[in-house]
Amino acid sequence: MISVRGLAKEFPAGGGRVAAIKNLNLEVAEGEFFVIVGASGSGKTTLLRAVAGLEVPDRGTISIGGRVVSSDAPPAWIPSQQRKLGMVFQSYAVWPHLTVYQNVALPLTDGTHRVRRGEVEKRVREALRLVQLDQVAERSATLLSGGQQQRVALARAIAVNPGILLMDEPLSNLDARLREEVRGKIRELAKQLGSTVLYVTHDQVEAMAMADRIALMQAGELLQVGTPAELYHRPATTGVAEFFGTMNWLEGTVTAPGVAETAIGPVRFEAEAGIGTEVLIGFRPECVALLAAAAPEKPNVFSAALKASVFLGDQSLLTLALADRVISAKCRGADVDGGPLRVWIDPADVMVFSAERRLAGGAADSLFGARAAV
Amino acid sequence: MKARSIESPLFFVRRSTTSPGLLFLASLPIAVIAVFVAVMIWVSFQRGMLGTSGAVYTLENYLALFGDPFLYRVLWNTAVFTATTTVVALAIGLPIAWLAERTSIPGKTAIYAIMTLGLLIPGIYTAMGWTFIAHPRIGFLNRWLMDLFGLQDAPLNIATPVGMGFVQGLSLAAVVFILTAQMFRAMNPSLEEAAKVHGLSFLRTIHRVTLPLALPGILAAVIYVVTIGIATFDIPAIVGLGNRVYMLSTYIYLKVHPQGSGLPEYGITGAVGACMIVVAALLTLLYGQVLRSGHRFEVVTGKGYRPALIELGGWAAAGWCFIGLYAFVSKVLPLLLIVYAALTPYFAPPSIEMMRHLSLVHFTNMEWGLVLRGARNTALLVAVVPLLVLLFAFAISWLVVRSRNRARYAIEFAAFLPQALPEVILAIGALLLALFVLGETVPLYGSVWLIAIVYVAARIAFATRALNGSLLQIHREMEEAAFVSGLSTLRTARRVLLPLLRPTLLSVWIWTALLVYRELTVAVFLGVHDNITFPAVIWSYWYAGGMNKASAVTLLMTVLLAPLIAAFWWLGRKTPTATQ
Repeated sequence: MISVRGLAKEFPAGGGRVAAIKNLNLEVAEGEFFVIVGASGSGKTTLLRAVAGLEVPDRGTISIGGRVVSSDAPPAWIPSQQRKLGMVFQSYAVWPHLTVYQNVALPLTDGTHRVRRGEVEKRVREALRLVQLDQVAERSATLLSGGQQQRVALARAIAVNPGILLMDEPLSNLDARLREEVRGKIRELAKQLGSTVLYVTHDQVEAMAMADRIALMQAGELLQVGTPAELYHRPATTGVAEFFGTMNWLEGTVTAPGVAETAIGPVRFEAEAGIGTEVLIGFRPECVALLAAAAPEKPNVFSAALKASVFLGDQSLLTLALADRVISAKCRGADVDGGPLRVWIDPADVMVFSAERRLAGGAADSLFGARAAV
Repeated sequence: MKARSIESPLFFVRRSTTSPGLLFLASLPIAVIAVFVAVMIWVSFQRGMLGTSGAVYTLENYLALFGDPFLYRVLWNTAVFTATTTVVALAIGLPIAWLAERTSIPGKTAIYAIMTLGLLIPGIYTAMGWTFIAHPRIGFLNRWLMDLFGLQDAPLNIATPVGMGFVQGLSLAAVVFILTAQMFRAMNPSLEEAAKVHGLSFLRTIHRVTLPLALPGILAAVIYVVTIGIATFDIPAIVGLGNRVYMLSTYIYLKVHPQGSGLPEYGITGAVGACMIVVAALLTLLYGQVLRSGHRFEVVTGKGYRPALIELGGWAAAGWCFIGLYAFVSKVLPLLLIVYAALTPYFAPPSIEMMRHLSLVHFTNMEWGLVLRGARNTALLVAVVPLLVLLFAFAISWLVVRSRNRARYAIEFAAFLPQALPEVILAIGALLLALFVLGETVPLYGSVWLIAIVYVAARIAFATRALNGSLLQIHREMEEAAFVSGLSTLRTARRVLLPLLRPTLLSVWIWTALLVYRELTVAVFLGVHDNITFPAVIWSYWYAGGMNKASAVTLLMTVLLAPLIAAFWWLGRKTPTATQ
């Protein structure tokens, strides 16, 4: 549905030029809810705006529904107005001089894709009903709360029956509780309408909760594209692993198939790794299971000492010392006493990265240093 | 779906978000100003048949100018006048701004009302009124003081550089107020609170924190007032010209409209103008420098910050006495005297005796042909100029704020230039252009359209700045949402941008209309016969010695002005950003 090939875009910055997007390729399937996630400055909004026709790319081709909308060779440019899009902006961009109804109706009465007069009313009412704003249709848009304005923007975007829906951090201006509620509704609505959605956010939880597929973007490039589970459990790099959640890291050397010698002893894993390679072993805190003292001996069981515990209600966050290394663990309940513990790390949950690759990613490197110092 | 690509050499034009039409609209007024300046400099190096092949290129104009001993008298007068103006304007405007923004004084809306009205009432009103008050021969205050103390000579003389500076200062106090009130408002009160918490006394806080923070703002106001002072025409003309006390602007006026049998000296006029451009440019650079150093101090404050106000207690009454006195001396008394002069057959100090002679003789004897011609021209200017200003300023603002066009920095800078150029300079530039370049081919000399062109050029800077501010506050995504929704550029402007800008557009329109309505300098320099404006009619009566007649026309003009002021007021209530 959306196809991006070899996209590149630079901006002038302080005399020089900064690359916002570097030779980027992306395919979004019809009906897919596709989330681009990344830290601020990663180029994700530029990518979205290029698809919307609000930025002119330096190089590359963008097609929507098989139609080339932007290309440098051969030169082609379809302006925003003719791309038939729905877009929800970060600021919502709800026109303050119009009522809720007029905001949704303006694209239908004045836009490129105008509809018959009788049809306008029907379409606007339907869009407002879908976002549950039909009761406030005649109200001035400025009198609405942030959450309501966000829904006006959404109604306006879907009213034109767009080929694709673009969303630029639509939830970032809502408070945390509302955000959780709305993200479910947006996904539900998109699925109900069968829309193809390109959604930009910096929040990895939001990305995982909403996406069919996620692309993690960093410094103008896509680090990894995949389903939320793939990115969480099988991250391509330590950087991706860190982005989607806390990690425990251990340096080690592979001594036998599926075994690496580390500071806490031999750690077993299921991934492939050549014997003798330097590796970085990673596992998430929730993969550390507390065992009863009488549990039978098995691989990847380590004895641990409790250093600190933080009670969070639904779970407890533990800081454990394994040999001379400190790791964090998550467990349910607060029934951890101060005595010696035994923990088990499922070999299936252990991620293995080659040490060279870690060194290539500066961010993971520093994070590793910080964690080891805990 | 078939790929609908546009393959044409026009591709790159289409890609840029700027239309060439907009670029043309934005550069037109800037080009006009550049031509004014260029012609003035060109003429300043000519003698003989100016503007023709018979002209001789020479430095003689400059030599004659600086060899003229009279010039140095004029420069000294102008210096004294400007210094007095600055001191008076600052001494009145600054305390009132401080009172209005940083203290608990009641009735702040009223203070703003009085000061804004101060901006609206033309300087010539104050000048005429104060001539009736403190002129050595006819000033009633002089007569009263002489009678009271048995004096031989008049103790007050308004027709001196200091006297005129006082009147000009009264007029510009409102400008100082507006400029420094903004500064006091932007000042972060937590900086003062921090000083207080860490043990500094009230006076020490003022001395070590408030004043250093306020200094750039005050300095900028001083430079602004000086820039106006050295080139202002109307007050020196009303008070000084008839009494042979000359300032730079009236000196130029004499070169263009010599008394007696002299011939206009356009070459020398051009030379004075060229020198003034240099001075004005330097002052503007300085102004920008000072403002920038002021912004360094600005601390970004979050939402909902309320400045802590200084409790005045009983001193509030003293504050209001000061404000009331200013309003009375600068506005109420002069206006009362103009009304009085308009309704008495000749000017004599107000007395019960004179009240018996009240009459409408000046209205019945008024040369209605002349007055109506002035009114018609002014009406035409008020109808046309503000609209053109808005059109050009919108084009400039949009390019500067929204587009990524490379030319936008140049345009932004150029659009600010007319702010630096006094109206006298623009008037001379237009005059020389009409006389020596356009000549017979485009007969603009003596036409009201020449005045209109200068007005548009002169008002662009203010309008652009006001629109820039509003446009910056309208999120870019408001327009982008319209583009993505399929609205064309034109429809986006009509349905989204213009409605959102409407309050600013309206207030700029009214403000420009008011300034056009009362403008005297350009009108006098360019006015011949057919293109005389309403204020120029007042001026011509006054200059010819018909003070009471002039007052009558002034009264008429003020009455007609009322609806415009009312509209300004009504809008000002709705949008607080109506003024500078």
